[in-house]
Amino acid sequence: MSKTIMIVDDSASVRQVVSIALKGAGYDVVDACDGKDALTKLDGRKLHLIISDVNMPNMDGISFVKQVKAHPSYKFTPVIMLTTESAADKKQRGQEAGAKAWIVKPFQPQQMLAAVSKLVLP
Amino acid sequence: MSEAQVHSALCLEGELNIYCASETKMRLMEFLSRAEDPSLDLSAVTELDTAGLQVLILARQEAERMRKPLRFLNPSDSVRDVFDLCNLTVRFGDARGLESNS
Amino acid sequence: MNLDKAQQTFIEESRELLEAMEDALLTLETSPGDTDAINAVFRAMHTIKGAAGLFGLDHIVSFTHVAESLMDRVRDGELSVDDKLIALLLGCQDHIATLLEELAAGNETPDADLLTASTGLIAGLNLYLGESPVSDEAAPESPASASPGMGMGGAGVDQDTWHVSVRFDRDLLRNGFDPLSFVRYLGTIGTLVHVEVIDDAIPAGDEMDAEACYLGFEIRLAGALSKGDIESAFEFVQSDCTLTILPPNSQIGAYIDLIQDLPEDSARLGEILVACGTLTERELEEGLRIQFGGQEEPVDRGDVKPAQPLGEILVERELVQQELVDAALDKQRRTREAKTREARVIRIDAAKLDDLINLVGELVIAGSAAETLARRSRNRSLVEANATIGGLVESIRDSALRLRMVEIGETFNRFRRVVRDVSQDLGKEIDLVITGAETELDKSVVEKIGDPLMHLVRNAMDHGLESTERRIAAGKPAKGTLRLNAYHESGSIVIEIVDDGGGLDRARILAKAQERGLVQPGQTLSDHEIDHLIFEPGFSTAEQVTNLSGRGVGMDVVRRNIDALRGTIGLQSEPGVGTRVAIRLPLTLAIIDGFLVGVGDGYYIIPLDCVVECMKCDPAETSDKDYINLRGQVLPFLRLRDLFHIGGTPPRRQNIVVIQYAGQRVGLVVDYLLGEFQTVIKPLGRLLNHLRGFFGGSTILGGGEVAMILDVQELIRISVQREAGGAVESSPGKEQIDLV
Repeated sequence: MSKTIMIVDDSASVRQVVSIALKGAGYDVVDACDGKDALTKLDGRKLHLIISDVNMPNMDGISFVKQVKAHPSYKFTPVIMLTTESAADKKQRGQEAGAKAWIVKPFQPQQMLAAVSKLVLP
Repeated sequence: MSEAQVHSALCLEGELNIYCASETKMRLMEFLSRAEDPSLDLSAVTELDTAGLQVLILARQEAERMRKPLRFLNPSDSVRDVFDLCNLTVRFGDARGLESNS
Repeated sequence: MNLDKAQQTFIEESRELLEAMEDALLTLETSPGDTDAINAVFRAMHTIKGAAGLFGLDHIVSFTHVAESLMDRVRDGELSVDDKLIALLLGCQDHIATLLEELAAGNETPDADLLTASTGLIAGLNLYLGESPVSDEAAPESPASASPGMGMGGAGVDQDTWHVSVRFDRDLLRNGFDPLSFVRYLGTIGTLVHVEVIDDAIPAGDEMDAEACYLGFEIRLAGALSKGDIESAFEFVQSDCTLTILPPNSQIGAYIDLIQDLPEDSARLGEILVACGTLTERELEEGLRIQFGGQEEPVDRGDVKPAQPLGEILVERELVQQELVDAALDKQRRTREAKTREARVIRIDAAKLDDLINLVGELVIAGSAAETLARRSRNRSLVEANATIGGLVESIRDSALRLRMVEIGETFNRFRRVVRDVSQDLGKEIDLVITGAETELDKSVVEKIGDPLMHLVRNAMDHGLESTERRIAAGKPAKGTLRLNAYHESGSIVIEIVDDGGGLDRARILAKAQERGLVQPGQTLSDHEIDHLIFEPGFSTAEQVTNLSGRGVGMDVVRRNIDALRGTIGLQSEPGVGTRVAIRLPLTLAIIDGFLVGVGDGYYIIPLDCVVECMKCDPAETSDKDYINLRGQVLPFLRLRDLFHIGGTPPRRQNIVVIQYAGQRVGLVVDYLLGEFQTVIKPLGRLLNHLRGFFGGSTILGGGEVAMILDVQELIRISVQREAGGAVESSPGKEQIDLV
């Protein structure tokens, strides 16, 4: 049974690259372009991991994570946030919101896969 | 998760992970307190994570304390996978075995 | 994100890292245990590897990876640094530099030669990685437990199997992490030889919180891994777990330490380690026995709390480790300091800085113009306002120039490698001592000083320092010393290259100079004069032409280089004791404080640093003479009017400006003294190139007039030559200058 990962990022190219990489590694992928879109796409579906950008229009990554973590079906779902190194305070807020794992942008698809596979193997 | 009792065997079904770990723990404790020769049927477990594993270990420890050894039966692939990974197949399979009914 | 730009940054930052790596390697040569240096080398390889990965530069990644793994083991104390390893790593550093050059040149994939070089170096590194036994009894290829009963040698533990011990914080599961996934991940990067679940922390039924994490793992993991690889599996939970990684071949003592440090019962952990195959029963028994006070009889488990023996032994061992702990703390502190310092530094494109300095130069000129106008207007408040602005402009100028000031240390450090390599080539033992590394000078000067310095350093090693045998025969220490020193002195920087070699061979220099026709037979020269002959064009004394000092391109080239920087070079030598070469350079080439004078219709600027004093020129005393008596001393002077062939009649009262450079004084007879003037040096354009010699540059005055900046050195040279009886001889193209 393959594991499902949600990627939330406003950049279409990032979503594309990440999706291709994850699918190639054997994961199922759901993608969303911002926090709002992501919340509607949760739809009670089983997720093994959420990867979310921080800076997004409509609903940013941190608010999104807060809401997801408040949901009983997702409160224990691991979240990887994509961030730039300088965003220390964002990281702090993200941690509080419940995102405990971070990948620093820019990253190579391989790095992302390695990080993901530490949390969920396909 | 549903439960079926066959000769004081409890059948765990579906995901056995952190989302239902608390509930499963209560159910197991309750089951152990009344079962005479308890065994757990794990054939229908579709997912087992650390939280789930802990609950299974706890159940065995509690059972031992109550002096009624607990057997794990028919582990599903997901369960077997974790047991193998953690080298628990032998440990859980001692004496009365990690047996398949088939 | 533009990848080209990012790649450029990558190349630059990698070059810096490589430089740091070279420095560190050279440091390691003298102090092989220097943890800072070891970390610097590791960091260089690690960071370059990481960044190269982003650009898909696999050839760099794969190469740096091996070097990184090796340094990782050095860091862990598994490998010690020796000369061979340093040489190998220096080779690696060079190689990566070459790969970067290729990349900078647009070749992303290296050619066959480079790949061959890579393969060779990687093989060399792997050799080290392969034979990295803690004990000397190396048998890397035999994983089977060697000779049971070997006791504490560590030989009983399989060769390339790691032991990973991890306990997690209670909140881990709630945070969304599943420890099993980390174990599974380890299984993807290595082979899980044995995994033991530690469930001792699970409390009794009622107290157990099903969402808390109670489990820990003892894992034996096989594979060609670095400690970093294993650590990375736990990267997301670094602060939420207690992780101990014991490398292959760890001493039994390390396992015993682990047992002591873990929360579980020692005997139970011992069993677990035996179950993992990490330890044999015998090793465990012996280890624990030694741990528990060295008693011969097995420890009575009843009297666990072995309060006295265990505690003391731990303390004893801790004492041994105290230095290590201190070192680690110290290292951390320094890393932190370096980091904060790094964070305070901004990188700026040098061209932007040059633009700024140019603008400041224009500002200085415009400021002078405004000040002149203000003075003419005789409006006092305007003059005052202008003076304030002038003061600020001056501060801005100073700050702007300081931006370009760099420490000379970096330039000096480059020679550590040169000295090392050359001393090996020559078979001489040479110590390089660097002092004054923090002395600052303008980047533009630093850039141009490298070649002359290189020449001087090589010369000192090649000709100055004697061979080891000769040194010993002369009763000197076998190891020669070469010193590089720098300090500031009256607006200049002085750079010294000092060796404790044999000094100049004056007889040979004189003979050679006579043979070359530089000195007439019978002419008597002072020692100082003889020494300076080596700066004459075409002079080279090397009996044996080596590949280092080149052939014939001797010290004259060095002098010309220094001259071009408006500097001077001097030399002192004492037979049998050594030679000291001192280079004196202006701190900056861009702006000077000048002293403005007028001759005829022209304006001239004398660098203010060189001006000693001004005085009225007494026609009675100066007519028909080219010297005056200045407070009892003879002061030769030059009439700029004559020198520059300026026609017209001089004013009745002329002035003498006394200038001094490098210890020599000359008077310059000028028409008018116009006062101090901040001057931005504009290089002489090609049109005015024929003026080079008298002038170091030109500048624009506030009123738009051009003023020539006098080349004080050249003027002093002319004067000295004259004094020596020679005709005023100047280089070709310098005569017959008519200035309008």
